[in-house]
Amino acid sequence: MSARASRGIGGRRLVAFAALALAIGIGFVAAQSLAGTAVYYLTPTEAQHRGLAPGQTARLGGQVEAGSLRYEPASRDLRFVIGDGVSRVQVVGTGAPPGLLREGAGAVVEGAFGTDGVFRATQVIAKHDEVYQAPPPGATPSHRTP
Amino acid sequence: MSWGELGGGALRAALLFAVMGVGASAFAARYRDVRGLLSARWCALIALGLVALADLAMVGALVTHDFRIAYVANNNALETPLFYSVISLWAALEGSILLWTLVLAGATAFVAWRGTVAMPRLATTALGILFVMLSFFLLLVTTPAADPFTPSAIVPENGRGPNALLQNNPLMALHPPLLYLGYVLFSVPFAYALASLILGEGGDRWLVATRRYALVSWALLGTGIVAGAWWSYAVLGWGGYWAWDPVENAAIMPWLTATAYLHSVMVEEKRRLLRTWNLALVIGTFALTILGTFLTRSGIVNSVHAFSLSAIGPLLLGYLVAILVVSCGLLLWRSRELADGGALGAPLSREAVFLFQNVLFVAATLTVLLGTLYPLIAEALSGTQLSIGAPYFDRVEVPIGLALLFLMGVGPQLPWHGASRATLERQFAAPAVTAALAAVVSVAAGARGAAPVLTYALAAFVAATVTQEVARGIRARGALHGERGGTAFLALFRRNGRRYGGYVVHLGIALIAVAIAASQSGTVEAEQTLAPGGSMAVAGRVITLEAIRDVDEPQRRRVVADVRVSGASGDTRLEPSVAFYPNATQPVGTPGIGAGLDEDVYVILAAYDQRGKAWATIRTRVIPFVSWLWVGGAVIGLGSVIAALPPPRRRPVRTPAVVEAAPAGAE
Repeated sequence: MSARASRGIGGRRLVAFAALALAIGIGFVAAQSLAGTAVYYLTPTEAQHRGLAPGQTARLGGQVEAGSLRYEPASRDLRFVIGDGVSRVQVVGTGAPPGLLREGAGAVVEGAFGTDGVFRATQVIAKHDEVYQAPPPGATPSHRTP
Repeated sequence: MSWGELGGGALRAALLFAVMGVGASAFAARYRDVRGLLSARWCALIALGLVALADLAMVGALVTHDFRIAYVANNNALETPLFYSVISLWAALEGSILLWTLVLAGATAFVAWRGTVAMPRLATTALGILFVMLSFFLLLVTTPAADPFTPSAIVPENGRGPNALLQNNPLMALHPPLLYLGYVLFSVPFAYALASLILGEGGDRWLVATRRYALVSWALLGTGIVAGAWWSYAVLGWGGYWAWDPVENAAIMPWLTATAYLHSVMVEEKRRLLRTWNLALVIGTFALTILGTFLTRSGIVNSVHAFSLSAIGPLLLGYLVAILVVSCGLLLWRSRELADGGALGAPLSREAVFLFQNVLFVAATLTVLLGTLYPLIAEALSGTQLSIGAPYFDRVEVPIGLALLFLMGVGPQLPWHGASRATLERQFAAPAVTAALAAVVSVAAGARGAAPVLTYALAAFVAATVTQEVARGIRARGALHGERGGTAFLALFRRNGRRYGGYVVHLGIALIAVAIAASQSGTVEAEQTLAPGGSMAVAGRVITLEAIRDVDEPQRRRVVADVRVSGASGDTRLEPSVAFYPNATQPVGTPGIGAGLDEDVYVILAAYDQRGKAWATIRTRVIPFVSWLWVGGAVIGLGSVIAALPPPRRRPVRTPAVVEAAPAGAE
């Protein structure tokens, strides 16, 4: 009886400490990951003002400039210019553009600038659902990470 | 009378009855008055009838294309097929809230007629709270901000049609109602919890009375989430099913806290512990369902699901704040009465595992909440826009998920109060060997990476513990009742549904874990531009583009690629396509999916020659075990049904639901 009771109390403290340690550990990992994975979301103008270092991952949101969208089916080379009415950025990528990507429509590209000032996109995301939420000119369109 | 007048009138009349119901049930609860209870019951039934009438009026307006109603003009067109006209009830904000109100009215009427039989005071107070919630939603749908029957400013010749993404797949008929049912049914446990706090009942009668509601709500939410993942997979055409989008997060958060609650309830029942914690979990889960609605319906977070910026955002926020203030105030006020009647046991006891499990589920919820809201916080504090994507969630949630998978295997095998060494050996020898074998086999079969291999091992561990439990249960029934094989198996699930249904749910979760690990780590992708007749090779298959053709349909035009997939097991024909809807500025792609138990071939028409159809860019993904996700969702649904069904009674008299649930020691 006494052996069981003392085990119960010691165990209780152990369980409580372990649970607390677990919670703190998860909080720490979450805070670390939050800082490490946040991707800044900029308009082309902001990107140029900030002077992003080549290779630093960022997202650019803007409109695909009319007449700039080129897709080479054979090499699967994708090029277009993304702009916000003030600045424009040349974007290159590989692979077919998403079906929803259209000239004049909103798009978000994720990637990094090369040393030549061209943005190399690892991901091109067209703005979904234009009917329901037309982004005002200059605003950063909504994003989604497939 | 037009549909609009009928619906609008019905909603206003329903509001009247809901407000009367608040008064009647408050009177009944205060003075234990039968006439009050009786009027409250009739108010609930009439309100349900009127809300149902309003919902039917909206469906009628959609089916008959009555563009005098703005909602119909914006979400329906003359050429919309009947099926999509009907389900357009939940295609946009106002209709969704209408459906939400119907479910809430249904829950209120159900509690009024079934719940108030056994425990008048607790149940009538809970009924009053449900009437308050119903009144709020009816107030919402009768204010101009979210009135679904607002007339069109100009009646158009033809409507705009439903959102293209929503009319592309029949799964849309399943996913939102399941989620709404799950969301709304959780109002019932919440109302009982609040009623118990208001009345100062220290006991756990509220919890016993609403256990089944909580389980059903949880199951609907869970299967709704899986159905949503399936929709995303079959419609959005990116080859995935979960993107940590704010709306997905809004759905998973209450599911996580509800899962924690379903387990900690057992600790309260068996050990009279964690009372305050359980109340907090119910309140938190309910608040999260409202927060989810607010986040996704107010337009404050960017999401693919976001409806237009709406004036009901502030109203929902006010509602959420009121719920939190009232609940937390009551919880503090009654904290003295809620002291636990005992102490937590040894580290190797079932209650300790439940505690860790609860900490992990709540931590998962809070970290998802943090990742979802952090962009808002950062923008408010520093003005910078940033996004928190899958890398954050993967890094934080995958370890939590693995730990939970481990506890899911361990928990049911440990006895209450603590385990001896002999018990540990008896319970864990076979499952541990199975887990090790699964790890070896998966590595031999080509699995790489710590997380996937660990997932397979833990899933096998869980499956082994469940098998062991069922086998022992059958043997025990054989010894005690002389039942054999199939009879014993069925009796086990029928008479001990809560426990064995729970094990079935655990199996479903293990299936889903395997599906996620395999599809996230083992997908092979290739993309190539092909001329008709050309082919490409992916993961041992040859993908041939046979033709590109146009298909004209009344409500849309489609460009279809005829693709032949040749593999070891023969040929499959797939038709990935791109659809153009007159109301959408952008086309909608539909993947061609060759589904199989071991892997799916997922083909997307990524781009094509718009002039001469001389080429098409085909993206192919071979995704292993992804269909186990949908199977796992169905298994969870099955397990929940087994667990929720009342066990057979010895008494021949049929008793109301709450009385059946009352004896806590029955299982």
